[in-house]
Amino acid sequence: MAAPFLVARDIAKAFGGTQALKGVSLDIAPGEIHGLVGANGAGKSTFIRILAGLNHPDAGRVEIDGQGREIGTPQRATELGMSFIHQELAFVPGMTVLQNIMLGVPKKTRFGLTDWRAIARDVAPIARRVGISAPLNAGVKGLSTAEIWLINICRALVRKARLIVMDEPTASLAASEAERLFAIVRDLSASGVAVLYISHRLDEILSLCTRVSVFRDGRSVAELAGDALNRPALVEAIVGGAIRDVQRAATARQRGDVVMEAKKLTRAPKVHGVSLQLHAGEVLGIGGLVGAGRTELARLLFGADRPDSGEMMLMGRPYAPASPAAAVQAGLGLVPEERRAEALFLSKSIAFNLGIANLDKLAFGRYLPLMNRRARTSMAGEMIRSLSIKAQSASTPVGRLSGGNQQKVAIGRWLQRIPKVLILDEPTRGVDIGARAEIHRLIRQQAEAGMAVLVISSEPDELPELCDRVLVMAEGRIVRELTGPAVSRKAIVEASYLEPEAVMEDHPA
Amino acid sequence: MSNVAISARRLSPGAKAALGIFARYGTIIGLLAMIATFSILSPGAFPTVSNFTNVLNQASLAMIIAGGLTLAVVVGELDLSIGFAASLHGILITGLVVHDKLPIPLAVVIVIALGAVIGLVNGFIVTKVKVNSVIATLGVGTILTGLAFAYSAGVPIVAGVPEAFLQLSLGRWLFGIPNNIVAMIVVLGGLWLLVERTPLGQEIQAVGGNAVAARLAGVNVDRIKILGFVISGMCAALTGILLASRLGSGTASAADSYLLTAFAAVFLGSATLRDGEFHVLGTLVGALIIAFGFNGLNIFGAPTFSQYVLQGAILIIAVGMASLGRSLAER
Ligand SMILES: Nc1ncnc2c1ncn2[C@@H]1O[C@H](COP(=O)(O)OP(=O)(O)OP(=O)(O)O)[C@@H](O)[C@H]1O
Ligand SMILES: [Mg+2]
Repeated sequence: MAAPFLVARDIAKAFGGTQALKGVSLDIAPGEIHGLVGANGAGKSTFIRILAGLNHPDAGRVEIDGQGREIGTPQRATELGMSFIHQELAFVPGMTVLQNIMLGVPKKTRFGLTDWRAIARDVAPIARRVGISAPLNAGVKGLSTAEIWLINICRALVRKARLIVMDEPTASLAASEAERLFAIVRDLSASGVAVLYISHRLDEILSLCTRVSVFRDGRSVAELAGDALNRPALVEAIVGGAIRDVQRAATARQRGDVVMEAKKLTRAPKVHGVSLQLHAGEVLGIGGLVGAGRTELARLLFGADRPDSGEMMLMGRPYAPASPAAAVQAGLGLVPEERRAEALFLSKSIAFNLGIANLDKLAFGRYLPLMNRRARTSMAGEMIRSLSIKAQSASTPVGRLSGGNQQKVAIGRWLQRIPKVLILDEPTRGVDIGARAEIHRLIRQQAEAGMAVLVISSEPDELPELCDRVLVMAEGRIVRELTGPAVSRKAIVEASYLEPEAVMEDHPA
Repeated sequence: MSNVAISARRLSPGAKAALGIFARYGTIIGLLAMIATFSILSPGAFPTVSNFTNVLNQASLAMIIAGGLTLAVVVGELDLSIGFAASLHGILITGLVVHDKLPIPLAVVIVIALGAVIGLVNGFIVTKVKVNSVIATLGVGTILTGLAFAYSAGVPIVAGVPEAFLQLSLGRWLFGIPNNIVAMIVVLGGLWLLVERTPLGQEIQAVGGNAVAARLAGVNVDRIKILGFVISGMCAALTGILLASRLGSGTASAADSYLLTAFAAVFLGSATLRDGEFHVLGTLVGALIIAFGFNGLNIFGAPTFSQYVLQGAILIIAVGMASLGRSLAER
């Protein structure tokens, strides 16, 4: 093999009392697609934050091209030829696509002013290569997560990176977008750019990567390549033992009465004439491409936006929530798509974050409006145990948790409240396989107890595993309903590409 | 910046822990150090019960108005109208008592209700009309100044202030503790309890922490923000009343300078105990630092200008050190 581009040896890092990394080692050859896997909180993001110069290791050594280097700052990391696309995407909403691509990149100037026109000429071919469809001078506000990803990749290429690190790139991409990303990654690799690829989706890892490092509890526990690189071996290395693979639920579960109903809901431009019925005790999936209007539909149901037309019923009564507060009062819950921006209070404790939707249960009583802090702590402890949230205690700020553990907190809030209708938008984004199975089990358990659950997911395998019935949306309309055995990955993906106009007629409203 | 980064890399975990502690307890350590220094330098005048009572008594009005401001900033907004509002309230209560001969309790209730209404207006403009709170409250504050001048016709109300009214601030009705201090303890204690220990307080903190997430968690964000402004307005009213009583007069701009003091206290407080978050206890510590600093300088006969220099410098140093210490400790 060629001399490695990057060698990291025995990197250790503690945050206060948490030993996030106890000693991890890894090396990456030029042009290699190197996988990095591990359970939530294993230390993957911490490791790459160290490579990126955002955190400083307590111990260990980094070599680039055979030379010992201290990274120190993000600028230094860039100079050394590394580029990072972090779990929490970096972009500036108020700026244009081009400005975002050029963030932190030295720019061409003319008479001392930034020469945006010359820059645009240089960037355009690279933008085409990664497939950015938005015009370079368009604002980034309103662009999809997928497009923001492409902007980040483009930025790395403009900087002539020799190693691009991607932290859970497909967590927020639809299947087709993910395919495009894979093509780009392979293309990068062929041109000699190394990629460090972090993901919880083992299929992707297996199809993309030639070598995979596994972290567990802050240590590198395995490096798999060639024949040794297969799914059971990965799973075993990740969890430190065998795990039963998740099966399709496929239970012919008792379906109760209609709890929620929508009739011809419309809100331009994303939702058009959507009608659906949600039964007690069922897990209803909404499939489709990112941008098909699923999140917007969820927001309508939850009162976060108002529909232009159409109506809704809840428990047989007209339902027109003026705000999410009204929806919650009426018995709904929503786990939003973007946990950091829309769900979590990062500087507040786990207990606070779980308690905020359960305050009525935490007061001492009607006439003594004081909070029962002991109840809150024990409630949080219960959730931490049942979702195996990796944290020092219930008072740990949520911002200090790893991405997957943050997601568990966002879901736990509602599992605690037990609403009549629970809407989950991408519930297992960034969650490791063990916790994913656990979250699925909890969702099904709630449904069995009578909750009506609506799950939006862009991950091809998630809906078939979880749902009794799936509605597929395309361009703001429901284009197909799949029930029971008809729910499969293939059927969902196929329907996602249907032309809405062609199927409108035969879809039962 | 890069120098800082390099030195941070060499810090041992122990040093980082120490920095983290300093970032949280720095203001409290500073307060204690200041008290100790003044005590050593002026053992006869400074560390006495009567001087401490005096300092607290003087500072209570600032603490009350700063406590109210804390609620506004905890919900993520700024309230620049409080100083002007307090001035108006001072004039108004004097006028109601002196000219209109209203019973004092009734006048107090009216003025505090007006404070609540001003807060309601601020909150309404910010949440429903969606004007940035700096602009909204500055506008409202300016209008209030105008109203104050209009009400008093530009002339301070000094004559005929009844003794009973003066006793509001000067009295010692409870165990000989000055009324100002009692009022301050009741207000700050109540606010602390509200924010830290009630379910409503959780919603208040949630709105300040992440308004989008609070809304999607089912919190009525607008209502909570309005509540923050209302409390801020009511505290401004109370400060205005007590100040008028202490001065024995109503003057159109008597309380304007409380705005700066309140902001200094609130921001000093954000550097106390918690990582850059506003909270009632922090505000109390912030106000104490300012009060004892002024008092110490007074005892040494330092000129007035130096007190302002001190206030500004303490604020920048304390908040700056806390945030620097924090970022070094986190790396
Ligand atoms: N700033 C921080 N302060 C304290 N603890 C932290 C901080 N950042 C990370 N940790 C802790 O370090 C550990 C490793 O976290 P890290 O984010 O690296 O995990 P990860 O492997 O990326 O997990 P995920 O798959 O969930 O994203 C976790 O236990 C986390 O709680
Ligand atoms: Mg991570």
